[in-house]
Order: sequence, then C-alpha cells, then structure tokens
Amino acid sequence: MIHDFLAHLETLLLWGFAGCAFVSASLMLVLRQPMRVAMALVSCMVFLGGVYGLLGVHFIAAFQVLIYVGAVMVFMVYAIMLLDPRDESATAKYSKLLWPGIIGFALLAEALAVGYWNDLPHAPRGALGEPFDIARFSTAFLTEYWLHFELTSVLLLAAVVAALAVIKENRRHERG
Amino acid sequence: MIADLVISLVFIGYAISVLMGFGTILTWVERKQAAVMSDRIGANRAYIRIPFTKVKLVWWGLFHGMADGLKMLLKEDFKPRTYDWYAYAVAPWVVFTPVLLVFAVIPFGGTLTPAALWAPLGEWFGDKSYPMQIATLDAGLLIVFAFSGLTIIGAMLAGWSSSNKFSLLGALRAGSQMISYELVLGLTVLGLILIYGTVDLDSMVRKQSGTVLGVLPAWGIVYQPFAAILFLTAAIAENKRIPFDLPEAESELIAGYFTEYSAMKMGLFMFAEFIEIAVIGALFTTLFLGGYNLPFMSDAGFAFPGGAAVAMPHGAVVVTQLATFLAKVFVVCSFQILIRWTLPRFRYDQVLTFAWKFMLPLAIANLCVTAVAVWWIRA
Repeated sequence: MIHDFLAHLETLLLWGFAGCAFVSASLMLVLRQPMRVAMALVSCMVFLGGVYGLLGVHFIAAFQVLIYVGAVMVFMVYAIMLLDPRDESATAKYSKLLWPGIIGFALLAEALAVGYWNDLPHAPRGALGEPFDIARFSTAFLTEYWLHFELTSVLLLAAVVAALAVIKENRRHERG
Repeated sequence: MIADLVISLVFIGYAISVLMGFGTILTWVERKQAAVMSDRIGANRAYIRIPFTKVKLVWWGLFHGMADGLKMLLKEDFKPRTYDWYAYAVAPWVVFTPVLLVFAVIPFGGTLTPAALWAPLGEWFGDKSYPMQIATLDAGLLIVFAFSGLTIIGAMLAGWSSSNKFSLLGALRAGSQMISYELVLGLTVLGLILIYGTVDLDSMVRKQSGTVLGVLPAWGIVYQPFAAILFLTAAIAENKRIPFDLPEAESELIAGYFTEYSAMKMGLFMFAEFIEIAVIGALFTTLFLGGYNLPFMSDAGFAFPGGAAVAMPHGAVVVTQLATFLAKVFVVCSFQILIRWTLPRFRYDQVLTFAWKFMLPLAIANLCVTAVAVWWIRA
C-alpha cells in the first residue's frame, strides 16, 4: 500500500503542481483587481517551478522563480503598489462579450487539442541518457546561445534608455 | 524506499526544530547580549514559580521568549478595514515560508551511514548512506536566491494592503532596499562560484574540507575575505536590521510595513526576521566558514599536519559535524546581533547610495580580481 503510494508520489505531486499552476493561470485571467492578478501570476510561476523541479531540471526551476518572480514580478508588484489603481472597473460587471469570448476560447482550445495533442511525440521516460545538469546547460548556453542572450540584453538596454527618454520628455513638459 | 522517506522526514524535522529553536533563542540572545554590551543586568523579569512554593525560576531570563510567544497568541487579533483583506492575510506567510524553505538546500552535516551508527539499523537501511541535507540539488545556491526573492513580495504586499501611509512608505523602502542589496549579495557570491566551480552547496562544503599552504583550513573566507565582509553586510541589509532597518524605523514609520499587524500575524514577521538571522548564519557558515568541517577533520577522524591522526567512530563524527555547524551558525548570529547594537541607523538615501555606489562597485571589483586570479592560476 505505502510502497504503491511512494512509487506514484512523484506523479501525484507533478499532477498536483500542474493543476495548481493551471488554476492560478485561470485565476490570473479571471480576476479583476491588479494586485490579485499579479499574485495569481506569482503563484503560477512558483507552481511551474515545482513542475520543472519534479521533472529533474532543478536549475530551470530556480531560474523560473529567480527571474520571473524575484525580478519581473517584484517590479510589477512595486509598480502596482506605487500607482495603486483603485479604479471602478475592477468592481464593474464583466463585458458583454464575456460569453462569446468563453465560447471562442473553448473552440480554440479544442482545435489545439485535436490538432496537436495526438501528434505530440511521446517522450520516453527515463531514456534521456545523462541528466541535463547545470554544467551541460552552462556549456550549451555559452557556446550555442550566447548571441541570443547578448541580443536580448541589448534589447533590454534599449528599453531602459527609451523609458528614461520618455520620463525626461514628460518632465520637460511639466516644467515648461 | 520507506527508509529514504524516514531519513528525509528525520532531516526535515531536524531542520525545522533547529530553525524554530534558533528563532526562539535569538530573541533572548538579542536582549541578553544588548544587556551585556551596555553593562546592564537585562532580561531577568520573566520567571516561572513552582506552584505552592516561593521558588522562582529565572534562568537568566530565558522565559522571556515564552512570555513573548504567549503574549502574541493571546492578544487581540486586530483586523483593520483594509482595501484588500486577502492580500493582508496572506502577506505574513509569504514573508515567513521562503525563509524556512531556504534551509532545505543547506548541508548541516557530512554523510550519514545508519548501518555504521548502530548495527540493527543496518538490517533495515542496508549499507546506504545519506548526505545530511534535505534536498541535494545541483542548483543549490540558485535555489537560495530564488526563495529569498519571494520575501520581498511579502513585505510589499503587507505594506500595500494595510491601507496605511506609514505602511506604504515602509513597503516602498523595503522593496527598493531589498532589490538593491540582493544584487550585491549575488555578485559577492560569484567569486566563490568561480573558485569552487559549482553552485551545489554540498560539494562546495566538501571542497572546503582540505587545507591551504598546509596549515590554514581551505575555507571560503581564506580565499575571499573581502567577499565575506561584503556578503555579511548585504545579508544584514537584506534582513532589514539595524543599521539598515529603515523600512521599519520606529522613530519615522512606527513599525513600517507591518504597522497594521497585531498578535501572531505581527509575530510571524518578527519570527521570520529572527529565523533569517539564523539562515544568514547558516549560509555564511556554508559559503565562507567551511560548513560542518572542523580544521584537519575528515569523515574518518582528525589528521593533523604534523602527521598525528586520531581515528573516530562514525557516530562521533556525525555528532561532531552537527555540533560544529550549529556552533558556527551561533557565532555568526551573535556577531550579527553585536553589529545591531553597535552601529547607528543610516539615513534612507545613504542606504541606497551605499548599495549602488559603494557595495556594488566593490563587489564587481572583487569579482574581476578573482576572475583574473583564477584564470592566471589555472593557466
């Protein structure tokens, strides 16, 4: 009994984390108030981290939480906290397009499921050879993907410069 | 398989009791050490009287922790009319839980072989051996930073949801300060990663078990003394304690982001802070002070540089390693409290200037020097 339970514990946890991630992702779409949306997104990221961890890629789980929650979401929460948008739309009724939207989403999900799910290759479990550990990841990252990484950093730098320029322009208007 | 589960549960129980124990003891240490430093008697009011006698047990004020706990449990749990009650209720847990989780990847002892401890255990466990660590992960140090990033969200959530201007100001300060110092914290540790070539905390500690130049223990603090100072400073700032306690500076902001919290919810914030002292102590011990290693000691016993060797049974080695780790953590905790009662508080702009214009360049300089040195020695 307990042996069976332990043998399936990992699968059970995986489904648990996946289910929680799905629920929090749906909550992120459904909730109205900005801070709660942010919190739903944070918990979605953390549960996805749990999924990665259970699949054996602990460093991807760490990066998931470190970058998305520790950096991106912290700044989003910071911005929501500062702006504090207590507008009325958060308590208003849903839009008239709610039902068409839900039906469209269901159709799209079904089309995706029918179109893609059966064609997905079934990953052979435990046949991945040597584990994809952090050493292999780092080697691949610094040999094959360094250009992508550098391009992304340049893009981010451009975004920062653009944000500064926008702020300066606004300040000049306020003074003048 | 059940044996593995039992071992994991034992380790988890040990880790939680160590952290809770440290959290409770440190509240007392903070008072008693303050008293000793300022030449007072201090913390001697709480006592337990043996019923029907006049014998009062004071025990150097150790019961103050118990009195604190009772007070927090029995006080009115005041609920302010907040803008977002849900966020208000969740915030203390978002601060408290990650602090406990960080300890999961810290090795608190060497290798445990149950069969070598006591022969009857061998029938059940076989000849398996377990590293004394809850989760042996190759991404150890990254997990530490991932979880410590979560507490920032908790602090900001608490301040924002309290509907109080002081709380909001405190949350703003907490957010900016913790983001700034987490960057410095990460950069100071990079030098060590360069030297040891791993982010797995267990193998990092194993690499610190040898000696340098025959005499000095190969601890991180010997290789990176400068990074050790920067790390401890940034960690204290990350924990928001004096001299960096601006987010909860009582003369300016009442209690900062947890002003509106009372009873055990406020207790969770306080407890998280004290447990984080212990977690910082454990991290500093693991990264810079050789973890559970005593100088010249290995899993077989002591081997001194002169050639003398003392063999030790497995049980004695395990107990020595556990005790060494706890002792080192306690010394680092005590040092943090020493700093807390020594230095005055910064001004808030000084805190941020200190992070970005002083600590960050120094950390980067340390990293560059380390990188060049490692490259030079390996080439």
